[in-house]
Amino acid sequence: MRAEQLPIRSPDDVARVRQAVRSRAQAMGYSVVEQTKLVTAASELARNTLVYGLGGSVEMQELEDGFTQGLQLVFEDQGPGIDDLDQALTDGFTTGGGMGLGLSGSRRLMSEFDIQSTPGAGTRVAVVLWKRAGARR
Amino acid sequence: MSERIPILKMGPFLLVTIQVELHDQLVLTLQDDLTEQVARHRAQGVMIDISALDIVDSFIGRTLAHIASLTRLLGASTVLVGMRPAVAITLVELGLTLPGIRTALNVERGMELLQRLVETDPAAGSPSDAC
Amino acid sequence: MRDLLTALSKSRAQQGFAPTETALFVFSLKQPMFEHLSGSGEAGNDVLDRVWRLNRLLDDLGLYTTEMYQRGRESIIQKQQQELLDLSTPVVKLYEQILALPLIGTLDSERTQVVMENLLDGIIAHEARIAIIDITGVPAVDTLVAQHLMKTIAAARLMGAECILSGIRPQIAQTIVHLGVDLGDIMTKATLADALVMALQRTGHVVVRKQG
Repeated sequence: MRAEQLPIRSPDDVARVRQAVRSRAQAMGYSVVEQTKLVTAASELARNTLVYGLGGSVEMQELEDGFTQGLQLVFEDQGPGIDDLDQALTDGFTTGGGMGLGLSGSRRLMSEFDIQSTPGAGTRVAVVLWKRAGARR
Repeated sequence: MSERIPILKMGPFLLVTIQVELHDQLVLTLQDDLTEQVARHRAQGVMIDISALDIVDSFIGRTLAHIASLTRLLGASTVLVGMRPAVAITLVELGLTLPGIRTALNVERGMELLQRLVETDPAAGSPSDAC
Repeated sequence: MRDLLTALSKSRAQQGFAPTETALFVFSLKQPMFEHLSGSGEAGNDVLDRVWRLNRLLDDLGLYTTEMYQRGRESIIQKQQQELLDLSTPVVKLYEQILALPLIGTLDSERTQVVMENLLDGIIAHEARIAIIDITGVPAVDTLVAQHLMKTIAAARLMGAECILSGIRPQIAQTIVHLGVDLGDIMTKATLADALVMALQRTGHVVVRKQG
């Protein structure tokens, strides 16, 4: 399971993250809808990393759970962090002029969503989309 | 020097076909250019063809909604055409249903819709009749 | 002994362990036995060591075939499940630009996703303006199902097609109101026939009965 790390330091990096996620998802045989969900979530989270986290990185990793495959994306920054996670995950909450759907929306698009944030130290968001299969546990 | 999405004028309408991947800055530039041109040409309708777009995230979606509101204030209806099924599903899951934007399946239908809107309401009406 | 192993395998399968992992659990008993043997006999440690390594190799090969066999079966089952899902959610063209999606049976989230994708692909393929979602055959509508339906309708609208929801039986209407689900300004009709008439009108047709 190869891991691949990409920097998120500029808007161009965000575009590169989208392309990298797209091609990895294609190579793994995700459906078009799944690919679109992955790339969209990657776009939201990469933008958050850049705008709110003041830059960071993403690590892509393929996962396997015995039944199906998944693609994991871990976004990390050393930015100001998030004071109130519950509030940040509420639809419509925003501090950066966005629509406040970045975090909550990505959570709906992905199978798994985990966020850890320490005010003053940074934020880490890990998401996984498992390939849709009848035999998911 | 800076990248721009071309805007075509067709009679009373403005036509935009997005054929490149949208960066945040690019879509903001489009918003400025479109509002400026709607005002300058007194356009009655705007059609944005997104059939080539393989993702619309919340930023792009929100800006498209802004464009629709801005052009409405300037007296022009905006019709969004050609959204792909996967993009539509993802946008809805994301929580964006773009209630203020009119939509059509393709450019041809979009043009029909714009023409109908202009005929029935020369002042280019509110989105409530879109159903 | 067999009962014990059956119970163990079942519980492990439910927990999502691969068959190899389960078998390895049993095979792991070998090592202490071999160690016991090699501890008791002074001569032949070398032979035992080689037998042990050969044994391990053959175990691995056997386990590998089991694993591959299982994967093959799983992919067949998945494919069949997919086919069943597709079969149970047909998109029918009723008239020019009018599609119907007659839903039959329980709607879970897996199936609703397939329904949604089939309908949206159908809208493109038939250049549909209107899609009728008929839920006459759906036994119950809970909040989740209602939300899925709303999402499908919202996605169709983003693509430029309108949806009409038909076949809402009185009990289901009550449930929807009771659950406080806001169907908003979604067009609804009691029957598929009523919905078809509405769809024809909205696409500019006039339905008249021929005189005589």
